[in-house]
Amino acid sequence: MNCAEIEELAGAYALRALPEETLREVENHLADCTRHPDIAALQAAALGLAAAADEKEPPPALKARLMDAVRREAAAEGRAAAPAPLRPRGWSWPAWPRLRPYALAAALALVAAGLLGWNVYLQTSDDGGGEATLIRSLTDGGGARGRIVYVRDEGLAVMTVEGLASLPDDKAYQVWAISEGRPTGIGLFDVAEGGRASAAMQVDLTAVDVIAVTVEPAGGSPQPTTAPVLSTEI
Amino acid sequence: MELLYERFGRLAFGLAYRILGESPSAEDAVQEAFLTVWRQAERLDPARGRVGSFLMTVVHHKAIDLLRSRHGQAARSVPLDPATIEAQEADVLDRVATSMGAAAAREALRSLPQEQREPIELAYFEGMTHVEIAEALGVPLGTVKSRLRLGLERMRSAFGIERKT
Repeated sequence: MNCAEIEELAGAYALRALPEETLREVENHLADCTRHPDIAALQAAALGLAAAADEKEPPPALKARLMDAVRREAAAEGRAAAPAPLRPRGWSWPAWPRLRPYALAAALALVAAGLLGWNVYLQTSDDGGGEATLIRSLTDGGGARGRIVYVRDEGLAVMTVEGLASLPDDKAYQVWAISEGRPTGIGLFDVAEGGRASAAMQVDLTAVDVIAVTVEPAGGSPQPTTAPVLSTEI
Repeated sequence: MELLYERFGRLAFGLAYRILGESPSAEDAVQEAFLTVWRQAERLDPARGRVGSFLMTVVHHKAIDLLRSRHGQAARSVPLDPATIEAQEADVLDRVATSMGAAAAREALRSLPQEQREPIELAYFEGMTHVEIAEALGVPLGTVKSRLRLGLERMRSAFGIERKT
């Protein structure tokens, strides 16, 4: 199969609408050929079709059956039915973590890029190999929105937000990593003009269920004291 | 797991229902998909692919396989690996999985010309191959290939997905 034939089949391939044999031929070709960069974008578009079906409330019994099945399997494997809790960690004053310069530069570039627009696709790696990936867009349904970029090699999450209200001097926005329902403060920030801000936080996102932002006293709180203004599941 | 169900249960069941209709198999597809995700939870790397994207992909695969087996056709499952759900796809689903995003996704599909929407729906929601679509619609295979591609290109652009160069 040559490149022109692959391009012709790109739509059907992205939609998984190829018979087995043809599928294998396409995959063999793509394994060795880098001349089809737009196929990934078509696959992403195909994935978006998952949301094009109308949402529908599942029968209540389904949840009970599912949780039963999870518990049964968990018991059989001797495994917890929920992710392991985050290592207990005391409140610590958030700070820009010490980074190797290249990683910091990459993180800052991502902050800048993240503020440019909603549809920017970020996946960069720099010479030092510090790969950073956009993992989550946040929105509150109102004017505020943001995104989190995770620099995996550094365990560094960089959050950018815009559209948040300015706060009086004695208040600050506080970022929480919530695991097993337990919030841990991981950073504080104030917003600049346009409600914009960015904050870098050292956090192992693999153990976190939810990231949330609340308004707290300027020095931060040991526990959230107000409802989140932004939150996202991780 | 409960959190994941709260977040994606309606979207997952909506997709399975669209594919399988009112039947116990729609529930089976959803349950199997959540269990698959749970079994692989330790392998899911949040920096690469998101759990929700993986989940919805599994729901789709399971539902299509059940549909095809109902019609006496061979399942076309390929082994699912969370690592194959790339960040770009994850980002797309994150955006469309909000209720506003889902409405936009429906609108994007609806606004395709019928000649492009029809084959895309047959491929995605009926699990047909391009050959089967050509037979069902009575159009040449080459036409189906180009309509699938053109329609998907429009969806890509409606979702704001950048083409990589």
